[in-house]
Amino acid sequence: MTTSRQDPPSRAGEHPHPPQVTAADVEEMTQEQLARLAHQLDDVEVIHNQRKFPIPGTRAEKRATRAVATWFLLSALSGLAFLAAFLFWPFEYVPPHEEGYTLYVLYTPVIGATFGFAVLALGIGAIAYVKKFFPDDVSVQQRHDGRSDEVARRTLMAQLAEAGNDTTIARRSLIKRSAGAAAGLFGLGLGIAAIAPFVRNPWEGGADAALWVTPWASPDGETVYLRRDTGKVGEVSLVRPEDLDAGGMETVFPFRESQRGHEEELLRAQRASDTPVMLIRLRPDQPVLVRPGQEGFNYGSYWAFSKVCTHLGCPASLYEQQTHRALCPCHQSQFLITEYARPVFGPATRPLPQLPITVNDEGYFVAVHDFIEPVGPAFWERGARA
Amino acid sequence: MTTTLRGARTRLRRKLTGALALGFALLAAGGLYTVFTPQPQVATAQGDAALVAQGQVLFDNHCISCHGVNLQGVEDRGPSLVGVGDSAVFFQVSTGRMPLARQEAQAVRKPPLPQFDPETPEGQENLDALGAYVQANGGGPHRPDATDAALRGDDPARGGELFRLNCSSCHNFTGTGIALSSGKYAPSLAPASAMDIYTAMQTGPQSMPRFSDRQLTPEEKRDIIAYVESVQGGLNNPGGQHLGGIGPTAEGVVAFIVGLAAMIGLALWIGAKS
Repeated sequence: MTTSRQDPPSRAGEHPHPPQVTAADVEEMTQEQLARLAHQLDDVEVIHNQRKFPIPGTRAEKRATRAVATWFLLSALSGLAFLAAFLFWPFEYVPPHEEGYTLYVLYTPVIGATFGFAVLALGIGAIAYVKKFFPDDVSVQQRHDGRSDEVARRTLMAQLAEAGNDTTIARRSLIKRSAGAAAGLFGLGLGIAAIAPFVRNPWEGGADAALWVTPWASPDGETVYLRRDTGKVGEVSLVRPEDLDAGGMETVFPFRESQRGHEEELLRAQRASDTPVMLIRLRPDQPVLVRPGQEGFNYGSYWAFSKVCTHLGCPASLYEQQTHRALCPCHQSQFLITEYARPVFGPATRPLPQLPITVNDEGYFVAVHDFIEPVGPAFWERGARA
Repeated sequence: MTTTLRGARTRLRRKLTGALALGFALLAAGGLYTVFTPQPQVATAQGDAALVAQGQVLFDNHCISCHGVNLQGVEDRGPSLVGVGDSAVFFQVSTGRMPLARQEAQAVRKPPLPQFDPETPEGQENLDALGAYVQANGGGPHRPDATDAALRGDDPARGGELFRLNCSSCHNFTGTGIALSSGKYAPSLAPASAMDIYTAMQTGPQSMPRFSDRQLTPEEKRDIIAYVESVQGGLNNPGGQHLGGIGPTAEGVVAFIVGLAAMIGLALWIGAKS
């Protein structure tokens, strides 16, 4: 209805096609003429096309050829060097101060540099070729304003609709519905597969849910020892009261005799996010403040606090043995160990949970029971405890 | 009469025997005493006594105003030195931290006093003397009698595990150090010698906790030193440049800036008219 407004006035409905060309004409045309015809059919006008080297065999042309070829050759050589280095360069770790360290430490730079240069030189060669040999070319293509003309639009829509009708899909509802069910369920499956790993019931296990208890708990009453990490997987080194000097601090992990010899279980206890505990030995004459409800959790001058910051769970183990502060490196919370590790600075609002410890009749430190409150950052269901 | 005479003779004999027995007992006790009395624990040999005396002179000249006449410390000036051992003396004095330049949050490492320079024979002797004096007044951890090379363990991988567990929270995983509370800081380990690191672990200078030999065995301490020395001073940088050794943030920023500049440069070159 509004065709007169939308259609361009002069050239509406009419393409500036060149004179009709028949198959016979094409047979007789040269390649150059055909290329020009292709431009004309696309409404492209070549304004300027100048070859870089109109006269073949000049010195300048040879120089340009050599320059491009040099880049490609350099790339090939570098690729070869990369292959050789990748296959034969010694890559196994050698500590400094030992023979072979220099060669080892060059491994990454060598394979990186050779591979990188091979790719770079290939690219530079390609671009140099384009810059040196491709003709200077300026072409103009006419741009058609507005939408396609009415005839083209109507015919295209009719064509599509007719193609749809020919498939008879519109009246085959069984196929439509079954296909819809298949595609829908497939999509649903994909969506669930993507989201399901994030959905977990944190309260599985009720009062023993993972957020409430830590591996320091001993459901079957087995003794939970304090164990140090000696840097050797599977080595069990238990802690005795004489092990730490006053002003000392050690990170300890839970250990039970039933885990001895099971390397994976031992490692899991060391790597779990809620197990690390700072065992701190204060000086004997150090005045301390005990939190109500945590009386007797310490053993003499030994105090054990969770290493996990109550703000966002970083290891708050920057222990200053003179000011008795444990610092968290993430957001600068500070906990005063001599006053039940209460926060004295920074965003943390709750003290570090204290692990009740004692020494058993073998002379080893053991945990009396689990922490009396959840370890680490707060969560909704965690009640506020003063 | 005979009876009285006999009685008097018996009495005399009894007195004589008693005196003899007492004499023997006394002699035996004295002999046993001389044989079994333990030797004094400290400063027996002439050389050690001289060393301790020399150390006392050095202490009186350099340390006494803050650490007190009997090493008991002075309120608001310096802590007690009873029980710190010659290990602490070596760490604090040979690194120039002591004598303190001024009272501030933390003693800083600076060139040691010339008479305590561990590079000179005189400095070594004075350090030994001062250490012997402090050791003689309360004991404490002993500095190992070993060269720096002997203090480097042969398992830097295990040392790395232990360093990351015990040390890296303050010193960073390459030993670059970090800020602590109220102006204190964990220093960089770059200028520290193997002996400095060892004695620091033994004695827990300033804010640092102490790591006794039962907590970290001497072998573990040496492995830690091996690890520290293997990542310090630009060593072990497969990328060619450690960029401060403070982790992925610095590396990411440099990669972003340098890489982006290179990309822009290349794009400019590609787009430029030849």
